[in-house]
Amino acid sequence: MDDAIILTHRRIFILPTQRGWAMLLLMVILLLIAFVYNNNLTYLLTFLIASVFFITILHTFKSLAGLVVQAGQTQAVFAGEAAGFDIHIHNPNANERPHCQIKLTKPQSFTLKPYSKTTQTLYSLTQKRGWHSVGTVTVFSTYPLGLFYAWSPLRFNSQTLVYPKPSPLELPFPDSPSADSEQGLSHKGTDDFYGLQEYQAGDSIKHIHWKAFAKGQGLYSKQYSGAKNSAEVWLHYDDAIGHDTEQRLSQLCRWVVDAERADIRYGLVLPTVKLPPDCGSAHYRQCLEALALL
Amino acid sequence: MNTPHYKNILIFLLTSVGLIVLPHVANIPPAMFGFFCLMLGWRFAGIWQPQYLPTTRLLYFLMLFALILLVSHQHRGLLGRDAGTNLFILALGLKLLEIKTERDIYLVVFLAFIVAASLFLYQQSLFMAAYILAVCCVLFATLVAINSIQIHTRAALKTAAVILLQAMPMATVIFVLFPRVEAPRWMLFEEKNKAKIGLSDSMEPGSISDLGTSEELVFRVKFTGAIPPPKYRYWRGPVLSYTDGKRWTQTNSQRFKAQLAKPSYAGTAYSYTLLMEAQEKNWVFALDIPAQYASPLEQNGHYQLINPENPHKRTEYQITSYTQYNTGYLTQLEYQDSTQLPSEPSDKIKQLVSQLHGFDDKPENFISQTLNHFKTEDFHYTLTPPLMEENPIESFLFNTKRGFCSHYASAFVYLMRTAHIPARVVTGYQGGKFNTVGNFLEIQQAHAHAWAEVWIENQGWARVDPTAAVAPERIEQQLDINLLELGSDIRFETSNSQQQENWLKQMSQLWNNADYQWQRWVVNYDSSNQSDFLSSFGIHDFKAMMKWLMALVGLITVLLALLLLYQKKKAIDPALRLYQQFCQKLQPAGLIRTDREGAMDFAQRAKLALPEQTEAIDHITNAFIQLHYGRVSTREDFVTFAKLVGGFKLNDRRLE
Repeated sequence: MDDAIILTHRRIFILPTQRGWAMLLLMVILLLIAFVYNNNLTYLLTFLIASVFFITILHTFKSLAGLVVQAGQTQAVFAGEAAGFDIHIHNPNANERPHCQIKLTKPQSFTLKPYSKTTQTLYSLTQKRGWHSVGTVTVFSTYPLGLFYAWSPLRFNSQTLVYPKPSPLELPFPDSPSADSEQGLSHKGTDDFYGLQEYQAGDSIKHIHWKAFAKGQGLYSKQYSGAKNSAEVWLHYDDAIGHDTEQRLSQLCRWVVDAERADIRYGLVLPTVKLPPDCGSAHYRQCLEALALL
Repeated sequence: MNTPHYKNILIFLLTSVGLIVLPHVANIPPAMFGFFCLMLGWRFAGIWQPQYLPTTRLLYFLMLFALILLVSHQHRGLLGRDAGTNLFILALGLKLLEIKTERDIYLVVFLAFIVAASLFLYQQSLFMAAYILAVCCVLFATLVAINSIQIHTRAALKTAAVILLQAMPMATVIFVLFPRVEAPRWMLFEEKNKAKIGLSDSMEPGSISDLGTSEELVFRVKFTGAIPPPKYRYWRGPVLSYTDGKRWTQTNSQRFKAQLAKPSYAGTAYSYTLLMEAQEKNWVFALDIPAQYASPLEQNGHYQLINPENPHKRTEYQITSYTQYNTGYLTQLEYQDSTQLPSEPSDKIKQLVSQLHGFDDKPENFISQTLNHFKTEDFHYTLTPPLMEENPIESFLFNTKRGFCSHYASAFVYLMRTAHIPARVVTGYQGGKFNTVGNFLEIQQAHAHAWAEVWIENQGWARVDPTAAVAPERIEQQLDINLLELGSDIRFETSNSQQQENWLKQMSQLWNNADYQWQRWVVNYDSSNQSDFLSSFGIHDFKAMMKWLMALVGLITVLLALLLLYQKKKAIDPALRLYQQFCQKLQPAGLIRTDREGAMDFAQRAKLALPEQTEAIDHITNAFIQLHYGRVSTREDFVTFAKLVGGFKLNDRRLE
């Protein structure tokens, strides 16, 4: 995980917005009026506006200064989906941040009360499988008058894994020698519930005892006896149809998704990796990772 | 763009625009103001009924209409203050109907600022400045509201007010130090066709009464040292030597004598600052008689000060005067001018003069005899004398015997001239209202006066005020204009009523003083004022001015930056600190949280050791995790957590 970044004067840049430049033009006009009519109060108004303009720099800077930004969790996605990056923003100071914005591709607004924090999930569209970096996250603000744009470009090492895009073709699982049961057969009905166990990462979401969770008793997974599916498929790289590696991986990905959904034990054979048949979210993730990183 | 937030912004914007244009009601043609109000009202209605907003075609039509309106009212020329104001107000009104994006709102705000500046071209009072400042605050609040996600009206106004307040020191510094350069003449579009009342360069009996009750301010005088007693407070204006028997006018030979000899002065020198309001004429009313003055002032042959380049605006002068003086000899031309009579005086007048020993006694005696005649005979001072069309002097002296300063002065001078004593009428102001708060004299149109000057051997021109003989209070005491009603007897403020000054009067003096200081230091701060003021700080040239400007603006910026950006950093998350307090409370039970131990694990251990407090421990641990590691936490969560920790008490039987 990345270290937290504190927004200091070294990280915050500030420039007038288009409106800021327009206001400069307004000041020139007012100064001209004051000069031509030799009118001291117009001078005073002009200088007041100029001072407000100038002081706004400090206020805009202040709306970002001191924020602590930290990259949080990421979720793996399939190629073509938007990858979400969690960004934690913490306001350690006593001043409120009435309007800050954060942007990866699309700006999102947030406010921060004193000593509070928020988590913004930023989405960026993925194209290719493999590791996808978050890129440059920009935290910016034009508060209070919209005359200045203060921004801080932040680079995080945060990455998310992008799985291949599942093929849209629904093809039957390849015949495998070790498959000894009907494809797609569900064995759910024969499972016998025998107890609860504390939830561990990797347990299927379907097995979480939601009722207990709703009562605030924590996360528990339901355990089934005899839940071993007798159906088993071997998803072989060579069996996948496609012109190139990507298409084949796409097809394999589709099979993995289908098999997991159908609760069939599946094994994956890739040119470099061989994963023995299994099922469950841990295995599922392992297979997809292998596909993503091939 | 139709959220409640956006509606709020629009209400803000339209209100401030309305407030900005409102004071212009007196300055722009009614049709124009009506058109603007229509636009504003239409837009206001459009907030709730957007379907009634004009279409693009209708907008073009409105624009055409506005253009016709503009051209039809431009008889005073296409350039200048009025035309510019009309143009900006119409543009503002039309733009209101076309607010589509945030950019349009900004444009409206900027236009409103220009209209605010145009208000100052009409009025520069303290009140107007305060009003504009308040409206500017609302305008800035509009911008704050646009740039906030969700903000309350009060919060936006407060933010704008804070920013404005912080901007004030810097604005003041720039105002003082920004070099004032006089605009070239051709660039000035000053309106000169406005009729102003004031003293005229001729006098007919009765003419000064037009000014009689006007409270309009003419000038203010602030003495640096001694203040002359009331009976010397004569402010010299034009000297009228020529008469046709009815009208008194100035002669052409004014400049002559001044070149020849200066009067000799005696007594106290009175130095003062004279702040003249904008005047139609280029006369400067100095205390009788001015001795020292600075350019561009000039003195004419009648010791009257003139500013040849009438600035047509409020101007400040530094003058020193002496109330005791000797003007010396009389030139031949002056003698001719000041003994001129339109025709041979009538027998009746000659008879009066000889009766007062005008032909056979010394001039001094004749003067006192004449004044005594006014005093003892049935002469009255009134602002509404009967009309004297024919032979005004004769009918005044023998029939009506009612009049005010100009009647007395002209009759007196006429009598002097009949006795071949050089005499002339001097007009100007007399007295003044003393402002005890600001320590200055205010001279109003009502203080206009006419008196006489007589040339006496070894004394030169000496002032004689025949009005003083009839109504000494008029000279010695201040005329109470508020009590002065035409047709009624004139009453003068007595010292008794002065003591009973009520708070209302004091308030008005306080206000007048504030207004004086405002006019003097802010409105009238021009290049000469600026160089005087800055010289007292050792800032003499443009370069030094710029250096100081930069340095002071820099200093203010640094101070503001310190004020704004200094933030007390919390060393640790306050939630963590509270959690540590909770851990400390558990310490007596032998529960010590190790560095590596997570909050959950520690809670597990604590629950085992203190089974009866499981619930409290769980609550605290969960709240802490939510605050310290959670995605979103609010202030309320923190308060709840603080209460939980505060309320936690170790309930350990082993310790009992």
